[in-house]
Amino acid sequence: MLFWIVAALLTLLACLAILVPMVRVKAHASADSDHDLAVYQDQLAELERDVGRGVIGETEAEQARAEIGRRILRIAGEGRGTGSSKSSRTGRTIATLAILAVPLASWGIYAVTGSPELPGQPLQERLTANPAENSIEELVARAEGHLTANPEDGRGWDVLAPIYYRMGRYNDSVVAYRNAIRLQGSSVTRELGLGEAIAANAGGTITVEAQAALERALVLEPQNPQAQFLLATALAQEGKSAEASQAWRSMLAGLPTNSPWRGAVEQSIARLGEQPAIPGPSAEDVEAADLMSDKDRAQMIEDMVAGLDQRLRDNPQDAEGWQRLVQSYVVLGRLDDARDALQRGLDALGRPSQPAASLETFAAERGVTLNGQAE
Amino acid sequence: MIVETGHFALVLAFALALVQFAVPLVGARTGDARLMAVGGPAAVAGFALVVLSFFALTAAYVQSDFSVANVWENSHSLKPMLYKVTGVWGNHEGSMLLWVLILTFFGALVAWFSGNLPATLRANVLSIQGLIGAAFLLFIFATSNPFARINPAPIEGRDLNPILQDIGLAVHPPLLYLGYVGFSVCFSFAVAALIEGRIDAAWARWVRPWTLAAWIFLTGGIAMGSYWAYYELGWGGWWFWDPVENASFLPWLSGTALLHSAIVMEKRSALKIWTLLLAILTFSLSLLGTFLVRSGVLTSVHAFATDPSRGLFILAILVFFIGGSLSLFALRASSLTQGGLFQPISREGALVLNNLFLTTATATVLIGTLYPLLVEAVTGDKISVGAPFFNMTFVPLVVPLLLAVPFGPLLAWKRGDLAGVAQRLFGTAGGALLAVMIALFFIDGTGVLAALGIGLAVWLMLGAVTDLALKAGIGNVGARVAVRRFVGLPRSVFGTALAHFGLGITTLGIVAVISLEIEEIAVMRPGDTLTAAGYTLRFEEISPYRGPNYTEDQGRFVYFDAAGRRVGEIVSSKRLYTARQMPTTEAGIATRGFSQLYVSLGDPTADGGVVVRVWWKPLVLLIWLGGVVMMAGGTVSLLDRRLRIGAPAARRERVARPAEAAAE
Repeated sequence: MLFWIVAALLTLLACLAILVPMVRVKAHASADSDHDLAVYQDQLAELERDVGRGVIGETEAEQARAEIGRRILRIAGEGRGTGSSKSSRTGRTIATLAILAVPLASWGIYAVTGSPELPGQPLQERLTANPAENSIEELVARAEGHLTANPEDGRGWDVLAPIYYRMGRYNDSVVAYRNAIRLQGSSVTRELGLGEAIAANAGGTITVEAQAALERALVLEPQNPQAQFLLATALAQEGKSAEASQAWRSMLAGLPTNSPWRGAVEQSIARLGEQPAIPGPSAEDVEAADLMSDKDRAQMIEDMVAGLDQRLRDNPQDAEGWQRLVQSYVVLGRLDDARDALQRGLDALGRPSQPAASLETFAAERGVTLNGQAE
Repeated sequence: MIVETGHFALVLAFALALVQFAVPLVGARTGDARLMAVGGPAAVAGFALVVLSFFALTAAYVQSDFSVANVWENSHSLKPMLYKVTGVWGNHEGSMLLWVLILTFFGALVAWFSGNLPATLRANVLSIQGLIGAAFLLFIFATSNPFARINPAPIEGRDLNPILQDIGLAVHPPLLYLGYVGFSVCFSFAVAALIEGRIDAAWARWVRPWTLAAWIFLTGGIAMGSYWAYYELGWGGWWFWDPVENASFLPWLSGTALLHSAIVMEKRSALKIWTLLLAILTFSLSLLGTFLVRSGVLTSVHAFATDPSRGLFILAILVFFIGGSLSLFALRASSLTQGGLFQPISREGALVLNNLFLTTATATVLIGTLYPLLVEAVTGDKISVGAPFFNMTFVPLVVPLLLAVPFGPLLAWKRGDLAGVAQRLFGTAGGALLAVMIALFFIDGTGVLAALGIGLAVWLMLGAVTDLALKAGIGNVGARVAVRRFVGLPRSVFGTALAHFGLGITTLGIVAVISLEIEEIAVMRPGDTLTAAGYTLRFEEISPYRGPNYTEDQGRFVYFDAAGRRVGEIVSSKRLYTARQMPTTEAGIATRGFSQLYVSLGDPTADGGVVVRVWWKPLVLLIWLGGVVMMAGGTVSLLDRRLRIGAPAARRERVARPAEAAAE
């Protein structure tokens, strides 16, 4: 309401700014040449002062006087008549239109661009209002304000850290967990939270730092399923599928039958098994490989690669297969075979073509090129 | 409520600007004094409303009211109070509001101080001023409303671009805008004169102070911006021929020409066409600068946001005002009466030469600035016109102009005596030659160009002193008379001398930095030393530091002079503004006299060292000090409230003491 009163007052004042001069001015306007004459007369007076001060010689002063005189004569010659002022009917119409235009234009535009219903929301006011009326963001900001003033309040950091995590402010969450651990000491919950926050901040990757936090949690509670699970996931992320699978299996063995973690662990193991990993031994193969001697294991892998090689000879239009074969040879250190596989793949896919080109790029990224060829 | 009041006040100001445009214009056409009288109060009321609006936005910033989109985008509750306030114009919307604030401020000044102006001229000037204001207010509402709201309001802002969080940037935009927009008054006067089809003594008397005021602010704004770039961007350059810098330099060049032209116009009623054209040109270049900077055509610090609709809108404003005024000029210029006559060798002639050089230089910079844009628009190729182009074109134009500067003030009005003036400049030339010799001796004769440049600077400075000495009659009259006459010299004479002296100072600084700068780069570990220009710099340590809204690594250096005495400490740092995760460099600068030792931290190396760049910048401060002296000259001249007339030299009899003839 107050806003509308202020707006109305402002509009009234603006209209008055137009109305008052129109009413007050007498219908008299001096001729323009009067102003010129005044300027020239001032110039003459100034000239005399300069002569008096000695900054200008009498000869030059004489010249200047003559020149000003000529200018005065010129405006006299122009003989512009005294500007008669008329207050015509058009004038009055325009004046009325102008005064009407101010409220119409301003209220019209404001109706489109303004948000009169929104009150101002200065931050300080929002933060000192009744907490019950605050949004979660405002509550967090209040807590932040408190912690800026008392940065050694470990309990505050402890409360804020998981809230940050839920709000998606992972970096802030990491800082808050670190502060809580520094001030309140390590605990399973805090270390777990820190590990999760670091991982979330890294886009889901369980980094070395996150692993360190999780391991500290395990030290405090060796059977903590969450820490165990995440550490196994870290192994899987690093491509150590065998170790990950083993970790999950041993975790599964230790879980009580009604544990809610069982499902997640089983799913993870299954997912690991079906992953078409390059060169793609199944979880069972890997488990079997674990039990084999080094020599046997090497033989098994060789057999698998040879199988892939044979399959591609029978069915050479498999672009992805060629990539896998090249990769396998690179992993086994058989670079000549890798180059040979690349050559055969390129021939089979037919150059120039999109699959051939991407196979070539794929190989080049792994250091395999057709040596001695035109490329 | 305060925010919406500000918003409403701005809308009301727009309505008043429309009235201010239309009503006095009709009044001047029909000779209706009542209608003409509306212009002044409308301008003053419009200014008051924009002040209210600007105050409302500032209040929103100070109170961190994030329900205002503009505040949320450009502020942060932890920002220091100073930068909360300067953040108001540290963004596109706010800076346009500042632009309009200054525009209406000048409109109000015209209304206040133009009581003795002919009524029709006054009405027309205020009308054009109103039209410019209305155009920019419409632009604000259509594309960049600073009062747009967000509901629900976010709890924290996104912070201001960190490199704008600096005291230099707090001052630079207002100064620059005072300059840019100040020229709008000259423009309005020019267009009003063209509408009336006549240009008279009162007109000239009125345009000069406005030009001078705008020029002073623009000089200050450019110098400030250059100094900011020098210390904040971290590579120690003070001028890059960057299109945005050129955008401010263009109106300065043509504004300088306008300034000189207006003097002739006031004193001798000559150069009317020049003055009109330059007034139109200067403001057009200011608008062009706004367009280049605000439209996002150029990517730089200044292009706060790239929104094509804004660019198009400003382009339309640009075309309307430039096209309109130039067409009016083409229609009406021939009907203006010719003013005082003069011979080619005279003060007027010298000023025409000055105008020719300055406008050609303006054109050169304009081409260098716009050419890459045109090429990109037509062919899509990205080319860059850099320093080499400007060095090859701009410098050869400016050097002869600078050589001619000391001649100008010594020539008599109407008909001058070049040989006589040359004779009186013998001493000055001698001094300049001596400076060249000393410079050659100092730098072992290898830097001939540097020596010549220093000679040019000394020539300018001594020329300004000579001008004063001759006008006071030192050497011709007794000491007591000379002192009395020196004190009695008009302020405008001091103003001229000061401004020309400042030009010399700036030239000296530029020449010194370009030719005598020393640069060293090294990877340093704590304890390492580096020697540059006789100073030995020792790297002490790198330590973390936490500011209000940033964290930084401070590199601490101690430096010693040639004799091994400890002179002082330099702290150079790399800052990270946490809200935007944006790093900046804070150069460490130690001032020795007018020279500076400039230390900038680079990236850390793998083995624990850090890349350190050290520059010795001889006389670098003179570049900006010269600007300050030029501003002082302008101010002194502005304070000279006399009505002025240039006393012409007599035709037949030789003037006994030409020095006095030249006195104003």
